[in-house]
Amino acid sequence: MTSVQPPQTTEPSGPTEPSEGTTAAQVVRRRWRSARYVVLTVLALLILVVILAALRPTVQPQYLDPESPGQSGTRALAQILGDRGVGVEVTRNASAAVSRMAGNTDATLVVVRSERLTEDDLEILSRARGDVLLVEPRQRVLDRLAPGVRLAARIPGQHAAPGCELTAATMAGEIDFNLSYTYLAPASAVRCYPTEALPRLVRLPVEGHTVTVLGSGLPLTNEHLAEDGNAALGMNLAGERSSVVWLIPDLPPAGGDQEKSLGELIPAGVKLAILQLVVALALVALWRSRRLGPVVVEPLPVVVRSAETVEGRARLYRAQHARDRAADALRAGARERLVPLLGLPRSSAQDPAFAQEVVAALAARAPWDATAIGLALYGPAPADDAELVRLTDFLDDLERQVRQS
Amino acid sequence: MALTGRLGLLAALTAIVLIFVPSWWALLAVEGVLLALVIIDLALAGNVRSLRLHRAGDTNVRLGETAKVSLTLENLGRRRVRASVRDAWPPSAAAAPRSVDLAIPAGERRRLDMTLTPTRRGDRVAATVTVRSMGPLGLAARQLSRPAPWTVRVLPAFPSRRHLPAKLARLRELTGQHVALIRGQGTEFDSLREYVDGDDVRSIDWRATARRADVVVRTWRPERDRRIYLVLDTGRTAAGRVGDIPRLDCSMDAALLLGALASRAGDRVDLLAYDRRVRARVEGTSRTDLLTAMVQAMAPLEPELIESDAAGMVSTLMARVRQRCLIVLLTELNTAAIEEGLLPLLPQLTSRHLLMIAAVSDPRVSEMATSRGDLAAVYDAAAAERARAERQRLTAELRKYGVEVVDAAPDDIAPALADAYLALKAAGRL
Repeated sequence: MTSVQPPQTTEPSGPTEPSEGTTAAQVVRRRWRSARYVVLTVLALLILVVILAALRPTVQPQYLDPESPGQSGTRALAQILGDRGVGVEVTRNASAAVSRMAGNTDATLVVVRSERLTEDDLEILSRARGDVLLVEPRQRVLDRLAPGVRLAARIPGQHAAPGCELTAATMAGEIDFNLSYTYLAPASAVRCYPTEALPRLVRLPVEGHTVTVLGSGLPLTNEHLAEDGNAALGMNLAGERSSVVWLIPDLPPAGGDQEKSLGELIPAGVKLAILQLVVALALVALWRSRRLGPVVVEPLPVVVRSAETVEGRARLYRAQHARDRAADALRAGARERLVPLLGLPRSSAQDPAFAQEVVAALAARAPWDATAIGLALYGPAPADDAELVRLTDFLDDLERQVRQS
Repeated sequence: MALTGRLGLLAALTAIVLIFVPSWWALLAVEGVLLALVIIDLALAGNVRSLRLHRAGDTNVRLGETAKVSLTLENLGRRRVRASVRDAWPPSAAAAPRSVDLAIPAGERRRLDMTLTPTRRGDRVAATVTVRSMGPLGLAARQLSRPAPWTVRVLPAFPSRRHLPAKLARLRELTGQHVALIRGQGTEFDSLREYVDGDDVRSIDWRATARRADVVVRTWRPERDRRIYLVLDTGRTAAGRVGDIPRLDCSMDAALLLGALASRAGDRVDLLAYDRRVRARVEGTSRTDLLTAMVQAMAPLEPELIESDAAGMVSTLMARVRQRCLIVLLTELNTAAIEEGLLPLLPQLTSRHLLMIAAVSDPRVSEMATSRGDLAAVYDAAAAERARAERQRLTAELRKYGVEVVDAAPDDIAPALADAYLALKAAGRL
């Protein structure tokens, strides 16, 4: 063969490995080899799902909600406050809370779940008058509502003593805060329940009113309210004034904060890193695209099969149903082979004048009568395709009989 | 110049730096460092231009066998060259290995051995040698392609040479050199020798017997020093493939066997390859060089996709050959080509020379002629019968002009042609 074959790459399989598995171990090994990437990918995805599920925030939606009777709600505290004549108004929106506070000069604003507050909400809240109790505030909230206080750490629970002069704390006594934030507060602030000098409860005056920061909301929940001095602490902190505006903000609507595009949300460093990765990709592309030397070209010989014309003619016969021509060719071929066997001159094969003689000689050596043989060798063109196939078979039989006789 | 994957990896890793130092200046600095590293690497890479390339190895290889060609790289520069070297050959040369990593210290040389297993007959010319010289950091490389000329001629495989011993044995029988008590056949007087039992009594030379006390017989030998002109038709019909090889390659194989046999038989053999002009010619070579010369002349021949010019071929032959000779035309029995081209010119040729036409028949046609079963097969058979009938008619017509026709399948054509030649020789018709 003189045609050029492209360079073939073979599977990098071991030389001793047969192409078909012979033992179960080999079959298993082969299946593992072919499926390992799929299996590993699925396994990696499963691990990722488990990790993501473990990392899911465990804070329940009704946490510190004064309308919720659930274990993490604060309905008990709200009802006790109500019984004591301190009305609790629940709002779920910062501007509503501020307007309530504006209408009611003697009220405490309790802000829970403050991580849900947007920058705009904090701006509105910072204009509110009256005392504020912040439960589990983060640094962002502290910056706006309790300037000077800094988030220090989050420490697991242990019983903590008041350690300060604040009435609410001294009355409540020791409290189990569970998991709680601790804060760094300025010297002017009252600092209570400290662990290693970091207080869990901070009260400081801000612009003529007091802001109280409580590091854990757990003592206020329905579940824990009855323990230790939790109820006292809650009531004294929240119920100092004649009414309470309890702000538990709803989740801000998606994108409702500021119309930020995805690009603005991505940190600048990540953007630059992505740019650098694009550069790296371009470099890799340059590396892969640089060939080791030019492509070698070569004129190839034509590939023409010699039998193509014959095959083409066969298809033309078939397309045109040229039974007459096909039958002629087959009969001529058969006669050509039969005549020498009969001892007749070769020239008589294609000569119609010898037809009688040929048929008679054949009839003497084959088990068919002269009419049938004459019809097969010199007869009219077959009427349909089936007859053509039958004629071919008959000619074959005839030839075989004559050869054997 | 070429970059490496290591540079891409390094660039990707520096992206981490940018996450922690998010500034455009940092980006600029990172790119600057990368660029500087690349420039340093390029500057320190071994000089490709100072490499000198030397070649050695095979210049001829039979089709199907493996040639060895070595490339020696001599480093005349002052720095060590650490490089990937690719010796590029055309695809049909099937050169291996594709590329080799070499380290050539200054002033030393390294040899790269290539093996070529060509898949096709003809001349294979080495394309280029490409050297990619890596820098010490492995981040960038200098790359240069340089010529290192070398040609490997791929000769015809000549698979029918296995028939040669048998045919030579037949030839020895004819010439009487065979170890058998048979009279050398032929028509040319050879010598006189003493009668031994079993000699044909008709060959007793009574005159010589009368002069001596012993009975003396004449021995005969076939004619020697006859001229045989092999003509390869390289026109379009030679391009058709029978089985998986071009008809031309079958013809070459047959021509080689006949040439080898005839030169041993003491005949002078010439070769002409012709389509519309002379493609190759071997004339007047000595007996010992004949096969080499023929093989070398045949190696680069490719079939041309044009109709052969029979008139041109006949006139070329007539101009070159004065004395009577055997012209062996290796072509295809194509009705149109022969009837329109060669037939009208046959009297010219046959009046002075003996013409033998050797044609390779396609086994596929025979296979089709016996196909049975469904309608498509029957039509195939009909078309094949028709083609066969045409071929037979053409053969008969050519024989009427006194032309010897050898028509055989690809595997049989070489021995069949040799047999036909031996038959002519035995009959003293050369």
